[in-house]
Amino acid sequence: MAVSWRSWLANEGVKHLCLLIWLSLNVLFFWKTFLLYNQGPEYHYLHQMLGLGLCLSRASASVLNLNCSLILLPMCRTLLAYLRGSQKVPSRRTRRLLDKSRTFHITCGVTICIFSGVHVAAHLVNALNFSVNYNDEFVELNAARYRNEDPRKLLFTTVPGLTGVCMVLVLFLMITASTYAIRVSNYDIFWYTHNLFFVFYMLLMLHVSGGLLKYQTNLDTHPPGCVYLNGSRYRHIHLSEYLSEQFRESFPGGFSKPDELTRNTFVKICMEEPRFQANFPQTWLWISGPLCLYCAERLYRCIRSNKPVTIISVISHPSDVMEIRMVKENFKARPGQYIILHCPSVSALENHPFTLTMCPTETKATFGVHLKIVGDWTERFRDLLLPPSSQDSEILPFIQSRNYPKLYIDGPFGSPFEESLNYEVSLCVAGGIGVTPFASILNTLLDDWKPYKLRRLYFIWVCRDIQSFRWFADLLCVLHNKFWQENRPDYVNIQLYLSQTDGIQKIIGEKYQALNSRLFIGRPRWKLLFDEIAKCNRGKSISDLRIFISRSPELLFVNLSPLPCLLHKFLLLGPPRIPLSPQLRDITNLHENSWCFLLWTQFNF
Amino acid sequence: MGQIEWAMWANEQALASGLILITGGIVATAGQFTQWYFGAYSIAAGVFICLLEYPRGKRKKGSTMERCGQKYMTKVVKLFGPFSRNYYVRAILHLGLSVPAGFLLATILGTACLAISSGIYLLAATRGEQWTPIESKPKERPQVGATIKQPPSNPPPRPPAEARKKLSEEEEVATGVSSGPQENPIPVTDEVV
Repeated sequence: MAVSWRSWLANEGVKHLCLLIWLSLNVLFFWKTFLLYNQGPEYHYLHQMLGLGLCLSRASASVLNLNCSLILLPMCRTLLAYLRGSQKVPSRRTRRLLDKSRTFHITCGVTICIFSGVHVAAHLVNALNFSVNYNDEFVELNAARYRNEDPRKLLFTTVPGLTGVCMVLVLFLMITASTYAIRVSNYDIFWYTHNLFFVFYMLLMLHVSGGLLKYQTNLDTHPPGCVYLNGSRYRHIHLSEYLSEQFRESFPGGFSKPDELTRNTFVKICMEEPRFQANFPQTWLWISGPLCLYCAERLYRCIRSNKPVTIISVISHPSDVMEIRMVKENFKARPGQYIILHCPSVSALENHPFTLTMCPTETKATFGVHLKIVGDWTERFRDLLLPPSSQDSEILPFIQSRNYPKLYIDGPFGSPFEESLNYEVSLCVAGGIGVTPFASILNTLLDDWKPYKLRRLYFIWVCRDIQSFRWFADLLCVLHNKFWQENRPDYVNIQLYLSQTDGIQKIIGEKYQALNSRLFIGRPRWKLLFDEIAKCNRGKSISDLRIFISRSPELLFVNLSPLPCLLHKFLLLGPPRIPLSPQLRDITNLHENSWCFLLWTQFNF
Repeated sequence: MGQIEWAMWANEQALASGLILITGGIVATAGQFTQWYFGAYSIAAGVFICLLEYPRGKRKKGSTMERCGQKYMTKVVKLFGPFSRNYYVRAILHLGLSVPAGFLLATILGTACLAISSGIYLLAATRGEQWTPIESKPKERPQVGATIKQPPSNPPPRPPAEARKKLSEEEEVATGVSSGPQENPIPVTDEVV
């Protein structure tokens, strides 16, 4: 059991520590601000007017400040890709934190959602209280113009009110379009509404400039709750009320020190009228930094992707896959990274991420992507590149190349698959077109495998259709031969699985003899596989093995999360993480944690 | 842009608006605001909308994720026939339901959100979308009799005849089971190592 706790700590500890820090920051800000408005003397009169609503709204606002600034940071993808590759983040453990950037973004988003609800509810109550508890004495403290002004007027005719309502509507649109079901089925809605965040931030900047909530500036000359010595009759009545209030406040238990009582009442004498001033909008300080950083990054990406790429060749593969090979000046990428393609002739607004299957090297500047034709964008793109007449032939005739549409790429951006070269043993499981990140890894190994830490690669590829294996059959065979020649036959262990067993499947040709013998019919039997891997790698320590799973969109509803836990059972290592390919467009496996826990308790060690 | 199904988004929005209405209504009635009966109305309207919108409609292409336990409400919603299928009806219904809640401060945001979802439903309706219930397909039991087309004529051990039989034998070879006597092109001799 001690091994398991240590391994859990090694694998998941840093992530949970960061989460704990974030949570404590939120709690701290909420609590501090709540106490400030509840007990602070400069808000005494305001608190009298508004009550609990003031404290809740301001406390939730401070949490919102923090989260609105933090939420932009995981979206600075170029920065994250730079951090992944640079030597400044040496530890693999810290780099694994970067894999969780999208989860952190979602967590901050959910927090913003919840606390916006609290903030709005509290401010609606404040609007009501501003109207009902109109303060005749300190008129400038009021937000309402007269007593019992309709609170709805307050909402719609003040700058904070109106911007607040608009922000709620924008947030409503963004949140309803960001649910898992929408992201999976209609990604476009999610993408276009999420770009409304810019409107949200502009409205936020205006919202805090309203200055409706004021604090008292002259606390020394007018301590809150003080009494006027020379006043009108009204003030006399007030005086007795104040005295009895002081009495009750200072001595809740009973009358025991008359001296202190007199001292207390006489200390608080008003020298002058209270002066109020609006708070400085702290939010500007919070969000300006991350917003500027994000805008700078978008600008950099825009400039970088301004030059179109030169398409060298377009190859049509079986099972609706198209390979595009291109070159671009000064384009560098690491294996496992992805790029975003933008083709104005296909769609002016849409752009789509694709993992690089071939990265540019020192000797060869060509890089490539494999696209699976699934939706309308890819269909139109294919029709532009490969005219329907020649879609069956393998390589496009040279004459057609002049008519290629302009293609822009943005990137490269990092992904967890870059790490597969940094572990001694990597288990790469791919489903369908999800094999693309591993293809770039294999291409890199073909070039030169010695500089990397990787010493053994288990490559498991599950496909539905036998023709799909032809996408990378050549690559796999060449790689297999190379390692045989170099006397490292166990470096890459390939296993191909054909998951659909009904219907007669043609065996792939004689050319791919090495693959034929590694082809299995049916789904992988994980227990046997892990048993074998465990036997061969028993001596390895916790940090040397990692499992990478990259699924295709068709395998969306298959729960692959038990895999790492099964491996855990055999290897007595910590439950490895499941990094997912960006090809899957933000699809997360919701059941990951619950499955791991289930298996943990089942095996009870 | 051409293949977006707006109805799914409108459904999420309407569900969220229903919840906002319920929350606002609870705040209004519990706080005993003036005109608190609007609050009671908005709770009722919110519950009705949540129940109506809970079952997700089926997508035109691809599989749809069901909400947890939605099949019970699907049966009820299906009973209304064209009133629940047609999105024009839903758009007008939501617009109508949202108006009374606009009179009270606590529920005014629910009104705005429901109005937006009514607009998106209208957009979905103009594009000809319809609500189709997600029905679970009855599990096809493989009929044992139908799969056996031609029972083998020879008793075992049988020589390989078709590609499919060859495949299953390859699997057996992979797991190390011998495939029985067959015609070997090259005579096999036992080599003792």
